[in-house]
Amino acid sequence: MKRRPTTPVIDVSNLPTTAFGQRDPLWWGVAGVMCIEGTMFALMLASYFYLRGGAHVWPPPGVIHPGLGITTGNLALLLLSILPMHLAAQAAERQDLAKIRLWLVVSTVLFVAFLALRISIMHRLTFRWDSHAYGSLIWTTVGLHTVHVVTGIVENLLFIAVLTRGPVEDKLMDDLRLNSMYWYFVVACWALFYGVFYLDPGLLGTLR
Amino acid sequence: MSAEPIGGLTSAEDFEAAEAADRRLLERTWKYASGLWGWFTEVDHSRIGKRYIVTALIFFALGGIEALMMRVQLARPANGFLGPDLYNQVFTTHGSTMMFLFAVPIMLGLGVYLVPLMVGTRNLAFPRLNAFSYYVYLIGGLFLYTAFFLNTGPDAGWFAYVPLSGPQFSPGKRVDVWAQMITFTEISALAVAVNLITTIFKQRAPGMSLNRIPLFVWAMLVTSFMVVFAMPAVMLSSLMLALDRLIDTHFFNPAQGGDAILWQHLFWFFGHPEVYIIFIPATGIVSAILAPFTRREVFGYMALVLSLVATGFIGFGLWVHHMFATGLPQLGASFFTAASIMIAIPAGTQIFCWIATLWGGHLRFKTPLLYVLGFIFTFVIGGLTGVMLAAVPLNLQVHDTFFVVAHLHYVLIGGAVFPLLGGLFYWFPKLTGRMLSETWGKVSFWLVFLGFNVTFFPQHILGLEGMPRRVYTYLPETGWGDLNMLSTAGAFILGLGVLVYLLNGIVSLAKGEPAGDDPWGADTLEWSVSSPPPPYNFQALPMVSGRSPRWLWHDQHPVVVGLRSDRREFLITNLLDAEPDHRQVSPGPTVWPFILSLGVGVTFILGIFTPWGLPIGAVPCAVALIAWFWPRGDQGHPLLKEKS
Amino acid sequence: MSWIGFHSVLHAHGIEAVRIGRLWWLMLSVCSAVFLLVLLATGIAVTRRPQESGLPGPLPPQGRLRRNRVVAGAIGLTAVTLFVLLIASVSTGRAVASLGASNATVIKVIGHQWWWEVKYQNPRPDRIVTTANEIHIPAGRPVLIELASADIIHSFWVPSLHGKRDLIPGHDSALWIEADRPGVYRGFCAEFCGHQHAHMGLLVIADPPERYAAWYAAQLRPPPPAAPLQQRGRQIVESAPCARCHTIQGSQATGSLGPDLTHLASRRTIAAATLPNIHENLSGWILDPQTLKPGCQMPANSLSAADLQAVTAYLESLR
Ligand code: HEA
Ligand code: HEA
Ligand code: HEC
Ligand code: CUA
Ligand SMILES: [Cu+2]
Repeated sequence: MKRRPTTPVIDVSNLPTTAFGQRDPLWWGVAGVMCIEGTMFALMLASYFYLRGGAHVWPPPGVIHPGLGITTGNLALLLLSILPMHLAAQAAERQDLAKIRLWLVVSTVLFVAFLALRISIMHRLTFRWDSHAYGSLIWTTVGLHTVHVVTGIVENLLFIAVLTRGPVEDKLMDDLRLNSMYWYFVVACWALFYGVFYLDPGLLGTLR
Repeated sequence: MSAEPIGGLTSAEDFEAAEAADRRLLERTWKYASGLWGWFTEVDHSRIGKRYIVTALIFFALGGIEALMMRVQLARPANGFLGPDLYNQVFTTHGSTMMFLFAVPIMLGLGVYLVPLMVGTRNLAFPRLNAFSYYVYLIGGLFLYTAFFLNTGPDAGWFAYVPLSGPQFSPGKRVDVWAQMITFTEISALAVAVNLITTIFKQRAPGMSLNRIPLFVWAMLVTSFMVVFAMPAVMLSSLMLALDRLIDTHFFNPAQGGDAILWQHLFWFFGHPEVYIIFIPATGIVSAILAPFTRREVFGYMALVLSLVATGFIGFGLWVHHMFATGLPQLGASFFTAASIMIAIPAGTQIFCWIATLWGGHLRFKTPLLYVLGFIFTFVIGGLTGVMLAAVPLNLQVHDTFFVVAHLHYVLIGGAVFPLLGGLFYWFPKLTGRMLSETWGKVSFWLVFLGFNVTFFPQHILGLEGMPRRVYTYLPETGWGDLNMLSTAGAFILGLGVLVYLLNGIVSLAKGEPAGDDPWGADTLEWSVSSPPPPYNFQALPMVSGRSPRWLWHDQHPVVVGLRSDRREFLITNLLDAEPDHRQVSPGPTVWPFILSLGVGVTFILGIFTPWGLPIGAVPCAVALIAWFWPRGDQGHPLLKEKS
Repeated sequence: MSWIGFHSVLHAHGIEAVRIGRLWWLMLSVCSAVFLLVLLATGIAVTRRPQESGLPGPLPPQGRLRRNRVVAGAIGLTAVTLFVLLIASVSTGRAVASLGASNATVIKVIGHQWWWEVKYQNPRPDRIVTTANEIHIPAGRPVLIELASADIIHSFWVPSLHGKRDLIPGHDSALWIEADRPGVYRGFCAEFCGHQHAHMGLLVIADPPERYAAWYAAQLRPPPPAAPLQQRGRQIVESAPCARCHTIQGSQATGSLGPDLTHLASRRTIAAATLPNIHENLSGWILDPQTLKPGCQMPANSLSAADLQAVTAYLESLR
């Protein structure tokens, strides 16, 4: 009698079809994106310190701190937005669609408020991207970060739309958790830039 | 994990009938549209991998033709074949093509093709992202060559040093073309890297614990990590350059607080790892070829894996050795010398392990093995000249001369292209189902090997005799004419060898002998499926019980059952031991990645002409992204209902 | 050697190049030995008839142990060899960096697209000598070359004397050189700098100290008075665009975009050590530099044959 060429040794038909966290491949995808962007932002900081190290006067003459209060308040808004994003992620774990939608709306409002405040801060700056290398660094970093915030807003709106219009697939719950994870990263990046830019001893010296 | 069969033993006849029915179902589930629509919606890793390989080979031929043009120009002193303007475009396009459009994509493309087959899964983790990566790469390459043929080819060298590449000294669009081509290829490479890492971490066949991963897959894993941490540097620097050129920022303008050396740091922080991104996959190919052609498991698995990882780490600490002539403090320079020299230890370890594999193997002198032997010969020379270059005093003499040109081709061609040619020869039967001609394979090898050494060995001497690189011509009195003529003659022999190789491929595609599943008696999983593999790769996922799984199988091999065939299911396993964890559904064909790549193309190409490129391009990109991710509920995922 | 001068790393004529040359020979011999050993091992491995079984799979255990030892030994030897090379490299680096002297001649070299401006520094402004593309130095004495760039990155390299050093805008630097014996040494711009990177050469002319002193004194003197034809040439130069770009002391030409021509006739070459300074080359250059050095920063000039002759004669009188 001919023998069959393969021997089944494992049966996987009972395994689940979704998983959260590191078990899910998408988690690794998002972590990879965070590594890539994190490296880019870190190199941006390295460039900042490199140019600062080579400069005679830092920041260049004419640069004035846009205000400790407004910049710190701006950061606080961003930090605050972590809370609803976290609650949305928790609701996703419970598959509680209504709650998810609620917290997404709240956080989106915070994001938009953050952006509005950011625009007014940039209006207060006494220099532009083409004034000097310092200006180029600040404006470019803020610009890159703003792209991320805008993406965050669009993503949230997209999720809200999907949750409203359906169909809602079970894997969307994990997507939502990853959306929150990515947002924490965006916030953390800005916290770092805030510290480096607005708490720079040279710049603090220009506070009136 | 037990190796006990599940369920009772069915008779072979029942089994065959059930299996045939299952195969028909799988075929229907994993079907792709044919024709043009199919081409734009394809998300299968093996077809996209093939596209990568073919596209990269076309760029290789273009880059090679440019190389021949340069060699003709340099054959005699004061030659008039290419003027300075054209020569500068040609050498820049040659270097950029070979690095960004040939070497990196072909290695990643080979990974895209082989990794899922080697780890025993049905597709990459993110099939649509994979399709997107390819289109972006293609757009970048087409863009560069369209510009090149419109006399707008980049002309500031493959590392485009500022201020030469800045707004003041390179008006016009040539450098912008370079910067955007870089951006396209980086996006593509980064996406592939994330895809490969995830696939290797989460989709290995049950039993393929970390210490059983094939060496080629290890090499792709380390490479992918290097891509993730190196490429952001060049994305950032080319962004800064583009902004300096477009909206008058001053990152690199010393008059306004910028710094020209910042560019060099950022570029080489990417540029040095880049050369290992090209080299490390090649070492994986060498290991993959050695096993079947010596009929031995590659000697020193652990040592080889550690060497790869060590190279990956140390590779990030060497970038300054490209900048010794900028004048560094003694101590700093010595550090980078020490680091650069240290990397010879993992490189040497690999060479020794391969020699130990040959020693005691039962060798079969087929073309792939010849290329591996040619690799050892050439790469060791190139590595040793690398060690010489790492010595600061000596570097100051030969930096930016033809000695460096010789080094870089010895390591790139000897170290990466030789294994690649051997590897493509080895996997050709799997890709196409046909064998290449062995005779013509050997002819091509000898032409390539001899031609290569005749071309590039004399360049060491030219460099020592004072010939700077990137010169479009030289004075007759320098006495460099004869060696240059020799080098040019060698380049034509080399070109002939490449041509023979390519023609062998084209002819065998139609006329080659049918290959069967496993023409070489190889050890890794890709040889256990048909040639070319079906879109679902494995009807039943294999179960792995050693480093050379196929050599441990006798007449029966253990497999996994229970994956559904009526939707595109695949198995997720855990990171360390590859124990089955859960099942997921792999997305099907879609046109949106292609549309998104067009959007990205519009954004960056328009961005050369106006800062409004970004907001304008963002619209189609956003539309495509939303359409891409919008769930349609047609992939078989369970649906959730609102709780009331 | 013709007018072009020595230009090989292997023909070292300066103390630093000699030291680096020694490092080169050390590296070459060690690396050749390593290469031959690798080749030998590979050769034996591929020709040897294996005693071990022919079944595919891992190497049998007895063979593995010995091989482990050999491979480990080779790795250890590699580490030791590399350490030796590192020491040799660092100590050569130190030795090379130790050249220097007080009271040395200081020469400022400024890179331009695609020629070298040369200024002999002196506390007394009237003793500063400005020339181009040719550097005279006293043989056997250390000389300090100060490097700066007027536009983009160039690299100063005279292979027979020393390794290269980049000229980077915003980062002025300096380099000591010394020629052991009199001779003509060719230099190159080694960093790619655009169209005429290939023709951005220079000559270092090492003279015995007395000859050097005489040359320096001659450079300080104004050029000799001109005969009638040359006077006409001078007027043309002063009225034509030439004066916008070139300086000729003792005339009204005071431009600074191109090389100083005050003692042009004392130079051996023109166009950044690209053409010997002979009559045909000079007049050809003045008429149409763009065919001789395409893309260079000097435009073609439309001069009548007579005017050209006068201008050339004038420039040839500038000794
Ligand atoms: C595949 C690509 C590749 C690889 C693998 C390497 C490998 C190495 N490279 Fe190379 N390199 C390039 C590609 C590569 N390089 C390119 C493209 C450039 C030019 C860029 C440009 O300017 O355009 C360059 C330039 C370059 C420079 C700068 C030159 C200059 O511009 O001045 C230096 C200087 O240190 C250097 C060093 C090294 C070293 C030390 C290694 C080591 O990794 C080599 C280690 C290997 C061995 C040493 C051989 C095997 C070992 C043994 C057999 C053990 C026994 C050995 C001893 C005891 C010594 N390389
Ligand atoms: C993987 C990378 C790679 C590869 C494979 C090559 C391949 C070759 N290179 Fe290149 N080279 C670089 C990377 C590479 N190069 C880089 C990074 C630089 C530095 C650039 C810079 O300074 O900015 C450089 C620079 C460089 C120079 C120095 C230019 C200068 O400084 O002035 C020279 C000169 O000889 C040269 C020659 C060659 C030759 C003869 C080949 C040959 O191997 C080519 C062989 C292939 C062929 C000849 C093609 C055969 C095909 C056909 C004949 C076509 C058939 C057509 C169809 C089937 C349709 N290269
Ligand atoms: C727009 C500027 C410009 C004008 C006008 C100009 N030159 Fe020049 N000239 C240069 C530059 C720049 C060089 C250096 C070119 C090089 O070597 O790349 C040069 C080089 C030369 C040289 C060679 C000097 C050397 O040592 O290598 C001579 C001689 C010369 N010019 C003569 C003239 C004469 C005569 C005229 C007028 C008829 C003239 N130039 C007009 C810019 C100019
Ligand atoms: Cu100046 Cu090259
Ligand atoms: Cu390097």
